[in-house]
Amino acid sequence: MEVLRDQNWLLTVGTFLPLVGVVVMLFIPKSDEQSHKSVALITALATLAIGIYTLTQFDFDQADKLQFFADAEWIKVISSNYTIGLDGMSLPLYILSMIVTVLVMIYSWDHIPSPGNPKAFLSLMLILQTGMAGTFIAQDLILFFVFFEVVLLPMYFMIGVWGGEQRQYASLKFFLYTMFGSALMLVAFIALFFKVRGALPEGVEPSFSIPMLAEYGGLLGRSAQIWIFAGMFVGFAVKVPMFPFHTWLPDAHTQAPTQGSVILAAILLKLGTYGFVRIAIPILPEGAREWAPWIGLLSVIGIIYGAFGCLAQNDMKRLIAFSSVAHMGFVMLGISTLTPMGFNAALFGMVAHGLITGMLFFIAGSVKERYHTLEIARLGGMLKQLPKLGWILGFCAMASLGLPGLAGFWGEFPAILAAYSPAPGLSEEVFRVFMVIAALGTVFAAAYLLWLFQRTAFGEPKPEFSGGHGHDGHGHDGHDDLHDVNTYEWIAWTPFLIAIVVFGVYPQLMFKIFDPAVSVALKAFGG
Amino acid sequence: MLAAEASQAMSHSAGWFLEHAWVIPIIPAVAFALIIFFGKRLPMKGSELGVASMVASLVLAVGAAWQWIQKINDASEGGVSYLTRAAGEKTPFVGPIVREWTWWQSGGFEFGIGQHIDGLALTLLVVVAFISTLVQIYSLEYLKGDRRYTHFFAALTLFSAGMLSMVLAPNMVQLILGWEIMGLCSFMLIGHWWEDQANARAALKAFFTVRVGDMGLLIGTGALFFAANNWTQANLGVSGFNISGLSAWAMSGEASKSVLTWAAVALFIACIGKSGQFPLHTWLPDAMAGPTPVSSLLHSSTMVVAGVFLVARLYPVFWEGLQIGDTGINFIVLIGGVTIVIAALLAFVQSDIKKVLAYSTVSQLGYMMMGLGAGAWLPAVFHIFTHAFFKACLFLAAGSVSHSGSHHSFDMKKDMGGLAKKMPITATTWIISTLALAGVFPLAGFFSKDEIIDNVGHNGYQAFMIVGLSGAFLTAAYMTRATYLTFFGEARGAAAGEHHDEGHATDHGHDAHDDHGHDAHAAHGAHDSHDDHGAHGPHESPKLITIPLVILAFLALTAGFSNAVPFGASWERFKKYVEPSPAFVMPEPVKASGPGEAIVVLDSTRASEGGEEGGAKSGCSYQAPAEGEVCYFPAVSHAKFKWSKAALSLLIVAVGLVSSWMFCVQYYTRRNRRLVGLTERNVILRGGYTFLANKYYLDALYEKVIVRAVAYPIARAAYWFNQNVLDGIVNGAGKISRRTAGWVYRNIDQHVVDGAVNGSGAAARGTGGALRPVQSGKVNQYGALLFAAAAIGALVLVIVNT
Amino acid sequence: MLASILAQVPWQAPTIDYHAIAPEIVLAAGICLIILVDLFVSESKKWITASLTGFVLLGALIPVLTLAVSDPDARSLFDGRYVIDEYALTLKALFLIAGYVVVLLSQNHVEEGDYYQGEYYTLLLTSLTGMVMMGSSRDLVSIFVALEFLSIPAYMLAAWRKRDRKSNEAGVKYYLLGVFASAVMLYGMSLLYGVTGSTLLSEIGRQITVEGDFGGVHALAIVFVVVGFAFKVSAVPFHTWAPDTYEGAPTPVTAFLSVASKAAGFVALVTILYVGVPQAKDVWQPFLWVLAALTMTVGNLLALRQSNIVRMLAYSSISQGGFILMPLAVAGTGDAAGPALQAVVVYLLVYAAMNLGMFAVVIAASRTTRSGEISSFGGLFSYAPGLGVLMTIFLASLAGIPPLGGWIAKFAAFRAVLEAGNGWAYGIAVIGAINSVIAFGYYGNVMREVWMKPAPNGETRAVATPTSLVAALTITAAATLLLGVLPGTVLRFGDLADLVGAFGR
Repeated sequence: MEVLRDQNWLLTVGTFLPLVGVVVMLFIPKSDEQSHKSVALITALATLAIGIYTLTQFDFDQADKLQFFADAEWIKVISSNYTIGLDGMSLPLYILSMIVTVLVMIYSWDHIPSPGNPKAFLSLMLILQTGMAGTFIAQDLILFFVFFEVVLLPMYFMIGVWGGEQRQYASLKFFLYTMFGSALMLVAFIALFFKVRGALPEGVEPSFSIPMLAEYGGLLGRSAQIWIFAGMFVGFAVKVPMFPFHTWLPDAHTQAPTQGSVILAAILLKLGTYGFVRIAIPILPEGAREWAPWIGLLSVIGIIYGAFGCLAQNDMKRLIAFSSVAHMGFVMLGISTLTPMGFNAALFGMVAHGLITGMLFFIAGSVKERYHTLEIARLGGMLKQLPKLGWILGFCAMASLGLPGLAGFWGEFPAILAAYSPAPGLSEEVFRVFMVIAALGTVFAAAYLLWLFQRTAFGEPKPEFSGGHGHDGHGHDGHDDLHDVNTYEWIAWTPFLIAIVVFGVYPQLMFKIFDPAVSVALKAFGG
Repeated sequence: MLAAEASQAMSHSAGWFLEHAWVIPIIPAVAFALIIFFGKRLPMKGSELGVASMVASLVLAVGAAWQWIQKINDASEGGVSYLTRAAGEKTPFVGPIVREWTWWQSGGFEFGIGQHIDGLALTLLVVVAFISTLVQIYSLEYLKGDRRYTHFFAALTLFSAGMLSMVLAPNMVQLILGWEIMGLCSFMLIGHWWEDQANARAALKAFFTVRVGDMGLLIGTGALFFAANNWTQANLGVSGFNISGLSAWAMSGEASKSVLTWAAVALFIACIGKSGQFPLHTWLPDAMAGPTPVSSLLHSSTMVVAGVFLVARLYPVFWEGLQIGDTGINFIVLIGGVTIVIAALLAFVQSDIKKVLAYSTVSQLGYMMMGLGAGAWLPAVFHIFTHAFFKACLFLAAGSVSHSGSHHSFDMKKDMGGLAKKMPITATTWIISTLALAGVFPLAGFFSKDEIIDNVGHNGYQAFMIVGLSGAFLTAAYMTRATYLTFFGEARGAAAGEHHDEGHATDHGHDAHDDHGHDAHAAHGAHDSHDDHGAHGPHESPKLITIPLVILAFLALTAGFSNAVPFGASWERFKKYVEPSPAFVMPEPVKASGPGEAIVVLDSTRASEGGEEGGAKSGCSYQAPAEGEVCYFPAVSHAKFKWSKAALSLLIVAVGLVSSWMFCVQYYTRRNRRLVGLTERNVILRGGYTFLANKYYLDALYEKVIVRAVAYPIARAAYWFNQNVLDGIVNGAGKISRRTAGWVYRNIDQHVVDGAVNGSGAAARGTGGALRPVQSGKVNQYGALLFAAAAIGALVLVIVNT
Repeated sequence: MLASILAQVPWQAPTIDYHAIAPEIVLAAGICLIILVDLFVSESKKWITASLTGFVLLGALIPVLTLAVSDPDARSLFDGRYVIDEYALTLKALFLIAGYVVVLLSQNHVEEGDYYQGEYYTLLLTSLTGMVMMGSSRDLVSIFVALEFLSIPAYMLAAWRKRDRKSNEAGVKYYLLGVFASAVMLYGMSLLYGVTGSTLLSEIGRQITVEGDFGGVHALAIVFVVVGFAFKVSAVPFHTWAPDTYEGAPTPVTAFLSVASKAAGFVALVTILYVGVPQAKDVWQPFLWVLAALTMTVGNLLALRQSNIVRMLAYSSISQGGFILMPLAVAGTGDAAGPALQAVVVYLLVYAAMNLGMFAVVIAASRTTRSGEISSFGGLFSYAPGLGVLMTIFLASLAGIPPLGGWIAKFAAFRAVLEAGNGWAYGIAVIGAINSVIAFGYYGNVMREVWMKPAPNGETRAVATPTSLVAALTITAAATLLLGVLPGTVLRFGDLADLVGAFGR
């Protein structure tokens, strides 16, 4: 496994810099909210600066190799090391996590959810950032696990403290679900370690290093692979989330504060899918091949099922949350094909979904702030009252239903294509059925998103908000702060919107980064 | 060798316009962006950008077309040629000018973007650019002062960009791109006056119905891609998305028939959705909720022919996949034929002028599909061409009527009549276009429609020739009815100058009407200038409206002569310049300047000599291919024009016109006892009328049954499952563990099982005695448990180990 | 008469390595010193005893360190009955530091609630001495002596809140059950002596082998011995004393019991299993397997029900004990012995840090809330963010969430189990995994109170935390974080080849 080691301090700095900000904030009194916001924002910006520098230093011609590779002794006794590196698969997500954090910080400038206390809120967000970035650079299973878990508590508190009415239920559910998954995942990791250690050829040092395992994992027996893969599957599938492990998602999303939902949708869900493409499938090809049809099945179920979930919603945010289930279904379908095209589609889908759904949650947050409700039936005529917000919603809905020329399409269309001819060894018939179902899913996507748009944005505004005659007090203050998109929102949103268009028009920007790394990850399948 | 070089030279001197046709869609795309961002600040609210961009595209398109014609003429003079069916007659072969650059690649597959220029593409390019220009000019006046004037032009421009990029797409991905963008614009434009939920619903319905079809597009494309990719890579060095690649592959005879068939069916389903074929045609009439210019551009002349275009574009796939060559009934011709009739019948029961035109459009699209399905490729494409002019003209005329004649109403029965005198220009153009549509010699419609009918018969689909003829009769009849109701007879309602503004929507409950009552209002809210019009009663429309009408009417009159078969081969320019050549030629991939890889399909490197009819079975031209040669188009045969056949169809048309006119006079003006109320009295007729009035209950089926079922019961059920079953399991697990915990705590942990106590009674008693001073008696139980457990553990292990 | 008998017995004093037993000597001296001081200082000056105790403990730590650095090979006294090796030293250090933290916790608590201070610290020291001895004992007799040495003072400490019936009851219960357990264990030991003719563990180990005359009596002996310690480590079903006692005893004492004396129990258990009866693994492995599974599960489930934080912590510490037992349950299988021992030691260290820390926070917080009810911690984060965060850290660590100490302990345990890699191992591993999730149910519940609930009766005025507590909190928190982020530091103490050797035979 050839790697590039120059400038290998970059990733460490980029990952842990946010913690510096946290430390600084510890010493600032809670009451001094402004400086907390500035410190947090500056830290995030600095981190992003590092990220962009990383981007400039990244050698795109060797995107298949791990770059900025560092490998330091960490826990010698259990032969786990501080191994980090970045390749084409992780780079976009790594950068995305930084960008999202910055934008969310900007959004938070005048949107600190009740009960306030920006100190805690922003510190948690910074810790979250470290966890997310770390997960994407970790090249050692134990390190990966640690970072994977680090994000739990901050998100738990973010939902539980700053969330909606049933925040406590939602947060606990989120936590227990994920923890259950990761417990089994850990067991799987350790089992994998021992099994591989048994199978290693002479002179190879057993360790948790992902590249090493990816090289020799194939030596394992079929049944061992299947069982270990099962363990990992649960861990990652909960995070994705795949049907039927998804039920934490709607609650978490609905209850979380806007910022929480955005980060959750944009990055956290990707940890699961990333786990599949980075760890489970490259290391356990046999297991993957065995499980792929089932993953595919659950994915298409998720697609249709999520769509139904959406159609049944009358709460805007919850609808978006369910749409996530459907979209991640497409991502997982792409992965389950075990073909480079499918993987590329999946990786693209991750980023696209991050941008689009993140954006939708921003919008939902702003709608809630203005109307004090997300009940679709009570909204309406948004285009008339808040034309800009309305059109942005329309734009994102279009992007989300996979309109060509916008980012969403390049996650869905190639995934569907890939399902037509899965990797050798997988039943074509089965996957072609999946393909048809997935295509049907795109129709449903159009249905629920446009229906949402039609019900909320079109038509005349409801009297309770139109400011005129007879509306309850609720509607009243609802009417009073009906102002269109404000500056902070513009600053926070524009990058998302631009990215959606740019990647939609020139997808090559991302595909050319993924492609080499993916073919490495899939070499066991002749990719 | 020399030939190769020569052809090299030729292919590269294709001419600037042909080489740069890919610029055509980019212009409106840029214009769209500009309108969105700066439109509102411009003096004309961005409309000037739209019109300018369309004009520019039109110029480029015409330029390209001109050079194409030159190219073909050059080729015919001493250029490369091949043998056609009429033995000995040589016609030139000119390959499409394909330029493709890598757009993105994934997993070793390349996805290109670029242009594929040939007669078909150029025809559509010119038509789209031309009609768009006129419609935008028309809209300058028609939507003056509208609330979302800028948005309207932005959407219109974006639509043109999408359509143009689809038309010159060299591969399926770009085609899908344009295809979907059109869908989006159609959504935005139909819902332009979204204050009225009815319009919003119509927009949603249109997008959604088309989307249902698009499933087929995705699946079909995927199937073709994976089936063809290896072959195309090997033989042409292009991906399995490339259109010439796919065509060649389909014609190669090496393609798997089953894949071809399924792909063709899937793709055609998409066409059914897009081109409003039966049974997915229901969205098109509702789409009339949009402003009239939109109806005339998107929903009659250009966007809705996208489906037809796709079939024509990938003709080899359908040809081979559905065995169009041999004369069994196939999917396309069947759908086309059915559509012609059912749509035409529906046109009779409409009282909304635009709906009449909408159904007429559906029926005409049926003609095109039937033609393609029956191997009449050229007439079908020609019909796209001519139909665009007169149908656009009809819609614009209808718009003109409502604009200045009927006070924004589209109801022929309530608000029109006798307008011919008041609006002479509009009336004239309308009548010309009507006759063209009806197919009266020598107007445009005759040359295209009659050719379709003729060729369908010629290719052995006699049954469908009958369908075509009856369709012609119906067309003539319902158009006459519409004409009469609008421009003749006595003036009614607004046309009579009655000015009813408020409650306009409510005083007639007619459903279809309602929409337009509203859209009129929306237009109203936007600008009161219209009230004045209304107040002054009917009058001729201003120049900006009439000029486009006149131009289109002129073309409706003359366009037919561009392929006037009756006057001999020299008149068949369309055939010469548009129809691809069914020849085996040697493809030659070459590097092109510009980003990434580009492939050029070269002109034939050898002139094919003699050959037998027998070769025809290969689907391509009439001799066996040399090694490595490919063929891009099946050899379609052409009917020999006979005045006798033409006379028959003309007679039918005439009968249609006259009978319908007489009926109208009797029914509407004379109020003839025997006719009026006939549908109430006669059971059969009543049944038929209600059946038609309810549009064959298709909408009921879709909306009341399918959609409702999915959107409510099924979705609810799924959600219930989610909340109660899946979530139930999770929460249940939590509850159970707490319950068990509670139970264990109370029953085992706090009061130790009595059995254990008795089991070690002695100990318990002893300790119990010792423990009196302690308040709770638990200790003895604890002790008992301790001993008991130890004893049991020991016992078990002793037994095990001895 | 007696003299003559003595005379006949040839007896010469054994050579004593005083450096080796220096820690014990320091402690003993300290005990006497404190008793004396206690006699002479006035009530107002009693706090001196506390500080003295602290110094004594630190003083005792010095020789431990010198021993650690002196020479690698183990020192063995009284022909192998009392051994000072890495293992012993590591645990002595653990006991002493834990003791020091407990002193820090006790200082204000004991001072404010009027207890007999001098005696309190005397007993604390005595008990610690017993533990320190336990670390080195390699003989049934010395083990038993050390055990009683550490237990009897603990019985009294448990009853230290002398005006509180609950406390008295706690003491008496603990005492009685402790005695029963000792009785059972003693019976087991005597049987062991009977069948092997020796009290020296290594000798016993040589005698008891799977082949040869291994019968029911051996099994009986081993089971009874294990039961004795199972009681000490409050393994289900021998845990019943723990909750009542923990709740009744003064909170610092509870901390002491739940950490130090539990650890001592495990130390002895490990010593006996590894040195004494490694070959009899077919007897004790299944037994421990059952105990571990029960302990984890029951402990967790019951903890879910608790509304009183101390009682909750009692059950939580029971289930944590289960996790410590888990690796021992497969210690004999494959080459899991090394990792298992490592896991136990590491777990003990980490557990000491985080559990003491947790108790420290509880003590500090309840100075404000004046209640042990979990609900009384509502809104703690809002008015005392420092304590709130600390409590979160310790709870998260107990729940085993990276990057806090708890995770590496759990990780080591799982690793050891999976190293064994047979069906039993996977079984217990899965049970453990599920339990580690359930555990968050109650830990998270406390977090929820701290972060998400409003303060009950609007009590939002934080009471200043005394320095001693701050010190304790700092030590424990630092340890918890450090162990979590750089586990290498602690894991090194874990690989103890010489003790594992016995399994080789």
